[in-house]
Amino acid sequence: MKQSALLLLAPAVRPFTIMIGTIVALGLIDRGSGYFFSVGTIFSVMQLFATLGLVALGLGLSMLVREFDLSVAGMMSLGGCIAVLTGGTSPWLGACLGVGAGVISGLLQGLIMTRLGLSSVGVTLGGLLTLQGLTYVLTGNQTISYPNMAVALGLNAPIAHLLSVRSAAALAVFAVATLVMTFTHVGRDIIATGSDRRASRIAGLNTDRIMIGVFAASGAASALAGVLLSYSLGAASPAGLSDVLAPAAAAAIVGGVSVVGGRGNAPGIAAGVLTLCILRSGLSAIGVPPFVHDLVTGGILLVIAVLDAPDLARHITAWRFARAERRAHTYSRESRDAAAT
Amino acid sequence: MSELAAPRRRVRRLFGARQLGLIIRIVAGAAIAVFALSTPGFLTPLSVNALLTAISFVGCVAVGMTFITLTGNIMSLALGATVSASALIFLASLSLGVAPAFLIAALFGTVITAAQGFLVGYFRANPILVSIAALSLLLGAAAFATGGHRIYPGGAGIEFFKGRMGAVPVNAMFFFATVIVGQFVISWTRMGRLMTMVGSNARAAIAAGIDITATVTVAYAMAGACAAIGGVLLAARYGSGDMELGAGYDYSAIAAVLVGGTGISGGSGSAWRTLIGVIVIAVIEVVLLLRGFSEQLQYLITGLIVLSVIMLHTLGERRQG
Repeated sequence: MKQSALLLLAPAVRPFTIMIGTIVALGLIDRGSGYFFSVGTIFSVMQLFATLGLVALGLGLSMLVREFDLSVAGMMSLGGCIAVLTGGTSPWLGACLGVGAGVISGLLQGLIMTRLGLSSVGVTLGGLLTLQGLTYVLTGNQTISYPNMAVALGLNAPIAHLLSVRSAAALAVFAVATLVMTFTHVGRDIIATGSDRRASRIAGLNTDRIMIGVFAASGAASALAGVLLSYSLGAASPAGLSDVLAPAAAAAIVGGVSVVGGRGNAPGIAAGVLTLCILRSGLSAIGVPPFVHDLVTGGILLVIAVLDAPDLARHITAWRFARAERRAHTYSRESRDAAAT
Repeated sequence: MSELAAPRRRVRRLFGARQLGLIIRIVAGAAIAVFALSTPGFLTPLSVNALLTAISFVGCVAVGMTFITLTGNIMSLALGATVSASALIFLASLSLGVAPAFLIAALFGTVITAAQGFLVGYFRANPILVSIAALSLLLGAAAFATGGHRIYPGGAGIEFFKGRMGAVPVNAMFFFATVIVGQFVISWTRMGRLMTMVGSNARAAIAAGIDITATVTVAYAMAGACAAIGGVLLAARYGSGDMELGAGYDYSAIAAVLVGGTGISGGSGSAWRTLIGVIVIAVIEVVLLLRGFSEQLQYLITGLIVLSVIMLHTLGERRQG
């Protein structure tokens, strides 16, 4: 019994445990009134997933190699704006250019980090500011509307009432990422680089190339999220997308990506994103005010932060030891008192 | 260690990393100074005043962020929300008088940020993760408390912060005081030395018997107090506020910290450097504005300069791991 409970909390399983726990909890609060378990809720969860999921995947990849890509929000705005600006007649061309911009920016950031030996936080912070500036220049500091409304309608068209083309595309990217990470050596190399970069390098792995690739992939995923979002909204604006970093990091971490690198996978990240999206849509579906969503998310993150903290186990052992010692102390005193009387 | 490019190795042999860094810094500083002083209208009282006021808000937060970076905890994504929340609390409690409201706001910022520091110090929880959790909780709690409405001052007295002492705006006085106190703590107190030690090598600090929990908690408490002061100044400047007030200040603050030359990996840093970082960014923005660059080009150029300054700073440092 205890073992199976521990299994549910094992790193690889925990994201799914949390997700199912969230669904059960919301279902219990809903008590069968049908607002939560509805096709509409699932559809809106998947729409949120399409935006947040790809950004969380990109950020999660960078966390796997023990880095932190702060520039995902910038990639997202830039991708969306480029797609809207260039994709008027051919949406595919716009999408390719948008994602291409993300890939190139990611490659450049990766090259700067590996060639100059810089940490990712500094470089991607500079990257974030630069990309945002570039987006402001490209759009002339205005919201740009996308003339091709057919694309917007097409992307949001429901598939089997549950998915839209947009969320199906996001799921497909996750499927590809899972396959690549599981069945090619790239996945193992990424985990190795994140676990111990020096050891991986000594073992003959070109960790610089892995790093550059990871940041390019992160840029591509975030830019694709921006492209899909801007197309489906029919507009792109240089501002307003910057609030995506914190939820994306939260989703990746709930999804079992370790902040110290080397642990996590794409299905876990998907589960983490779904958990946050289910919380947001589900809570609003059952009529809970929106601030509860922030409080619950914050609470979950805080619990995970403490659970994953390296010194938690040490402190628990120390507490137990202190309690056992106190008990032994009382016991010996009691027996001494008993002997005296 | 990644392979260095050959030309860089040659340059390095000529000067040595340290001198090279110093030369680059002097040249860059001189370039900015010449660029600024040759800009018509830069030295007018109006522009200098605007500059001083502008650097005060982000400057306070940046000095606070310095403490977090110094102790090896990278950055906090919650300081912007702390700025907003402290501003709201200051405005709401103004009915008690200016000084009590200021103290309540500062205490609030200190306590909630110190609580994050305790989790980071005691459990060695991941600082970025803790700060994101705190960000969520702050946003949720603020939305609950305010019902999503703007907060207006509950009493008079914010005019004081808009005034000036002699030639210097009161805002800037508060900022300079924050820098001086911050620098005093970092270089002249035992706690400050401990923070530097914990940041440069946590394991050695543990081995030396240093109370990491207390050190990190105090560092975060300082960060929260500084952010709260920034929040009070912002609240007084705008006369009302919501949670958007301080949004984005965490990014501007860490940019200023890094441009000033405080290392992201911890163990080195000072409030002076952060002051320089804040001034460099603000001067560049003002000069671009005065020279008639469009707003969007200002964003782009500032971003590029921050990126290149970060690259230059770390040129002499080695990559760890």
